[in-house]
Amino acid sequence: MSENLLFLSAPITASILLAAILSYFGNHILSRGIIFIDIAVAQIAALGTMIGLLLGFAEESVNVQLISYLFTLIIISVFALTKFRKQIIPQEAIIGIIYCIALGLAMLLAEKIPGGSNFISKTITGNILWVTWEKVLNCFILFVIIGVIHLFFRKQFIQISDTKNGMPYSPGKTRVYELLFYISFSVVIVKSVPVGGVFLVFTLLIAPSVAATLFTQNWMKRFLWSWIIGVLGSVIGMYISYTLNISNGPAIVTLLGTVVFLLAFGKLAARKFITIRTKKE
Amino acid sequence: MITALDFMLAPLIASLLLIVITVYFGIHVIEREIIFIDIALAQIAALGSCVSLVINNLNISPHDQIHEHDSRTMMAYLFCLLAAGVFSLLKDKQMKIPLEAIIGIAYAVATTSAVIILDKGAGSDVHIHDMLAGTMLWVSWHQTFRLLLMVILIGGFHYIFRKKFKALTLLYQDQETNINHPKLWDFLFYFTFGIVIVEAVNIGGILTIFAFLIIPASISAFFAIRWTARILIGLLVGGVSTILGLYLSWVMDVPCSPTIVLFLGLCLLVSVSIKALMKYKTNHQ
Repeated sequence: MSENLLFLSAPITASILLAAILSYFGNHILSRGIIFIDIAVAQIAALGTMIGLLLGFAEESVNVQLISYLFTLIIISVFALTKFRKQIIPQEAIIGIIYCIALGLAMLLAEKIPGGSNFISKTITGNILWVTWEKVLNCFILFVIIGVIHLFFRKQFIQISDTKNGMPYSPGKTRVYELLFYISFSVVIVKSVPVGGVFLVFTLLIAPSVAATLFTQNWMKRFLWSWIIGVLGSVIGMYISYTLNISNGPAIVTLLGTVVFLLAFGKLAARKFITIRTKKE
Repeated sequence: MITALDFMLAPLIASLLLIVITVYFGIHVIEREIIFIDIALAQIAALGSCVSLVINNLNISPHDQIHEHDSRTMMAYLFCLLAAGVFSLLKDKQMKIPLEAIIGIAYAVATTSAVIILDKGAGSDVHIHDMLAGTMLWVSWHQTFRLLLMVILIGGFHYIFRKKFKALTLLYQDQETNINHPKLWDFLFYFTFGIVIVEAVNIGGILTIFAFLIIPASISAFFAIRWTARILIGLLVGGVSTILGLYLSWVMDVPCSPTIVLFLGLCLLVSVSIKALMKYKTNHQ
């Protein structure tokens, strides 16, 4: 048992780290209604990697990673800066279009790279079980830096997330905050998707904050509860995957997802019950 | 050229049929802000066929292939029915969360449970790629005919009750409408949509159907507000991109669905610039 624990300690630490940063970001994402942004960012990063490979750099070399980051940051900056025009179509639709064109381009490029289609499916699975301590430390340092930035600008970010139309600050200032938010977000996503896979990252982002938002609208309470749910969910999910011998990522995703559905239906049923009782009286 | 036309006729008709039905549903999807619903429904249907596969494997009694195929389709529809129920129940103002979040979680859970069920299935790479890209070029006349039947049935149903469905979509934008049994109609909307998605994704693949749903409807939002006008614009844009995409993929020997998607993206770029130009002109008059 203790040997197993030693073996699992790096993955568990990694999943707690991911849960901590992602469930924080999730509340912002949920309030802004841009649910699928992380899948789009992951796809853009994958496309950037493929472009780097096409330019002749070796896989997993610094150059490819640099190109991938640069490409992602350019696209996300354009997205962040075009936001404030009068909205004809919802932002989520723009995310959908970006995702779909990036995927289409990636599929065309995949024909040109040997084993290219692997890059499309590689991002989907991820494997948190094989994470090394070095990577965990790497993530930890990065997440702490981004966490401090967000602690510093917490009021501004919350204010922007709460504003549905228009700008809460002067145009220049709002754009700078937006840029900061989206760039820090995409750095986190590009860093965490190779560790956990798209689906684990997506679920840790959305599920805990949905569960919290079902019951409270207060930002601090939402952060607190989504942290608790996210961290508990990943630890329990790891334990279940260990005892039932199924993969870790899917176990955590299924557990957290099921919990959200149960909570949502629970709330629905409780409300029905209350309205029926008040009608009777 | 004649042989090319012979070979391409079935895919061409099939994709034009797909355009007709997806452009209409696409406007609903954009207006309701449930952008990623088709990916989620496709994945839920796929989970259904995975479950039926497992059940069939547990069943020792001999069964023929056709029967198995039927039970898989049935199970896929059953899962769509379930999802339709869940989505229409959880669309509620009191829930304080956008429906898109529920859709996203359903998508993630459906995909990963399929992975768990198939136990990291061998050759899942290929399967994922096929599901994304679809096999539009290999569509048979039988499939095309089936698609036509479905488009007529579901299109007719939505045409007859168009007022109800439009009112329902307004409800999503927090506007007041007087409609009886909104949950029931919502359920019918998601169920018919689910059937369309299952059939369409089988032929076109997730990526193409997603693009068909989102991009023409977005383009039409730039230029028109009325539904009829929006549908016509969507049909025009979708039809042109599909024909060009299929032709280019034939001539240049590249996969057809990414090519169609890129043409749609190009149309979007062109219409954004036209819109900007129109704005500039009105501002300077």
